[in-house]
Amino acid sequence: MSTSTVTQKPELEYLDTVGFVADQGGRGFHLPVDMAIRSDGRIYVASRSHYQSVNIIGIQIVSIKHEFFGQVGSHGSGDGQMISPSALAIDNNDRLYLADDVLQRITVYDKTNTYTNKWGTAGSADGEIDGPSGLVFDSDNNLLIVDHKNHRVQRFTTDGYFLGKFGSLGMRDGQFDHPWGITVDAENYIYVADWRNDRIQKFTNDGYFVSKFGRSGNGPGEFNRPSNVAVDSEGFIYVTDWGNQRVQMMAPNGTFILELRGQATLSPWATEYLESNADEAMARSTYVPVYDTGSDDPNEISARIEPYFWDPVTVVLDNKDRLHVLETGRHRFQIYSKFDG
Amino acid sequence: MTTLASKQNTSLIAHLLRRASFGAYGEDLERYVCQGYEATVDELLNSLGNDNIPYDLIRRYHVEQSTLRNQTSARALWIYRMATTRYPLKEKMTLFWHRVFATSAAKLINARPMVNQIDMFREHGMGRFNNLLIHLSKNPAMLMWLDNQDNHKNAINENYAREILELFSMGVGNYTETDIKECARAFTGWTVVNPAYMSIKMRNNTARPYGYMSWQFNIDEKDHDDGVKTFLGETGNFNGEDIVEIICKQDATPRFIARHLYHFFVADEVPVPQWPYTKPRNPDAIEELARSYRDSSYDISAMLRVLFNSDFFKSDEVRFTRIKSPAELVIGMLRMAGGLKVASYETYESADVCSFMGQELLSPPSVEGWQGGDEWINTGTYAERVNFASKMFDDTDRPGIRSLIDRIKAAAISGVLTPRQLVDACLETLGHIAASDNTRNGLLARAETETDLNFDTEEAITESEKKIATMLQLVASTQEFQLA
Repeated sequence: MSTSTVTQKPELEYLDTVGFVADQGGRGFHLPVDMAIRSDGRIYVASRSHYQSVNIIGIQIVSIKHEFFGQVGSHGSGDGQMISPSALAIDNNDRLYLADDVLQRITVYDKTNTYTNKWGTAGSADGEIDGPSGLVFDSDNNLLIVDHKNHRVQRFTTDGYFLGKFGSLGMRDGQFDHPWGITVDAENYIYVADWRNDRIQKFTNDGYFVSKFGRSGNGPGEFNRPSNVAVDSEGFIYVTDWGNQRVQMMAPNGTFILELRGQATLSPWATEYLESNADEAMARSTYVPVYDTGSDDPNEISARIEPYFWDPVTVVLDNKDRLHVLETGRHRFQIYSKFDG
Repeated sequence: MTTLASKQNTSLIAHLLRRASFGAYGEDLERYVCQGYEATVDELLNSLGNDNIPYDLIRRYHVEQSTLRNQTSARALWIYRMATTRYPLKEKMTLFWHRVFATSAAKLINARPMVNQIDMFREHGMGRFNNLLIHLSKNPAMLMWLDNQDNHKNAINENYAREILELFSMGVGNYTETDIKECARAFTGWTVVNPAYMSIKMRNNTARPYGYMSWQFNIDEKDHDDGVKTFLGETGNFNGEDIVEIICKQDATPRFIARHLYHFFVADEVPVPQWPYTKPRNPDAIEELARSYRDSSYDISAMLRVLFNSDFFKSDEVRFTRIKSPAELVIGMLRMAGGLKVASYETYESADVCSFMGQELLSPPSVEGWQGGDEWINTGTYAERVNFASKMFDDTDRPGIRSLIDRIKAAAISGVLTPRQLVDACLETLGHIAASDNTRNGLLARAETETDLNFDTEEAITESEKKIATMLQLVASTQEFQLA
């Protein structure tokens, strides 16, 4: 448990946006699906892209200062390659773990971003996986994998030896329906984004059900297909409410505190692009980014309003508890910081 | 006598379902036959609910289907819907309007506005025509396709005005050049939000910096010419909505729409540019449909009800005379085979197959759309059709294919299926196909190179099922199977 001063009336302040659409390769991301932050602050972003634009499929390395360090891996099924990257995690030795939900395997890269290992067997038996969609390390440096088409969480050693599992398909406490993201808090509790049950479930480190919060809907504390969850050092919980195109902040007991809709600004990469394309910059100078769409479809609203989150897929915290909200639809992440309101 | 009447009835309903749906087979067809022709027409016309498409799973597994920028992905999404819909006539009408109000993602670059336009057709395509035409005139994809963002109060661009009269409602010969200019004045200021930036992103074909934005309709009042206009003999301070109302009450409009409906559902007409100079194939049918338009206050469903219950639609002369469009063929096969999975790429492949066959959905070749008819068939596209059908029947584990094979096996008498029985059963099972003697004899000759099929042992069943699948592939490659 953190010994820092507990925030009383938390609010979130927008800080910055990192990203750029790299649909033809180069600096930026393309349809990113997950990210992880290394102990030295390097940020790894997995770009899923799609089958007609495979050059950008890989893991891009960036920093919060908009530095771009290149890409790990490429499209393919060979060692170190990927077809459909789905999740990332970094162990306590700064090794990077990538899940691929088509190849049904975990790929490991060392601190120099060099491929070192791969493991995983497709199936539904103990130790087999079908659609790995969330990764996180527990305090013992074992890897928890959300095995989403088997509707369960499995635990492995870093070398891929099966240690245990919990969960099954269903709506009851401790059951899942196509779960997606996962996190572990400072007290070793496990949180799972129970995607198609529209809730977050909390478990002990051994996988015993503790509590749940959320239900289907678009009101405060309600979810429409929550994709991921993070818990900060004070126990505040952040959920990417993917279908509602927002991020919700919850108290440690799961009660609603506030929501974010997104307020992205131009990253330096975006600004440099516009500086090099004067016709677009000129047209953009009269552009009104936020307006009343009259639509009640959050996905369509996000498609029209560029600063808003579009498919916020994961929320990751750095060592200063700053939120990094990754958006698949806009190829970027927005950064927010908590403060006392 | 009863058997003959029953066969005729089944054949008629199969005809209806080839035209108003994507075909029906096996138990599905039997259900419709059981409820009768009129009830089937009612069901098709009244089934106007919304499909329960698992968008969450689609968007999770195919992440680009959220943004829908990519054209193949957007096509795949529509194909998935058409192949799984419970409301096939609604999708057929969506295809119909896509062909009449042809708009292309090839120019728009971003496919999402096209998907939104298709959604609009789905929502309004079977209602009143004036309502549909107003939605069309406010549709961002259409506005950008025909440059109405460049249609200004002090400098008109008549592109949309010309096409709404020529291709979307009345046809050449029913208005003057002055009407076009007055019409354009009424649509000045009808644009999208942020037109300058949206236009340049489209023209530069760039998703940078953060992807495309979806477009939203907007009326720029400052850029709208609110002056007096004279249009089709009426005078007033008309805006776009007024223009649509005037268009919809012209005599030419229902005849134009009726001819399109006849062309799509009954029998091929000459290409639209020839309509002013060529009489309709069946002028009485056009007048009957036009009358229903006027009597129902422009209701498209009322026109469809008259069409499907008419003698000219039911006539033997029009059955198996229309060449299936690539979309009709591909969707019909996908629906017949069943077992389409959300996470698969089969819909993407099917979208490409449609394109190879000559119908690139969401990207018609011009504002005149696809002419269809004989143009669907050439050596290359016919080979694509045969290959696609062959591939579908190769997978005998698919539930629909399995069901067809089981029905054909059930035709065996005393456990034996002769070559003639095999051919007849395959033709009947694939939609009561009226094969020519030449086709039937060709299929029979092929069947007779094999012995009778029997189902005595596991080995014999496996072998016989393979031969049934082969015969189904052959039937699907016949000329008759290309016809609806």
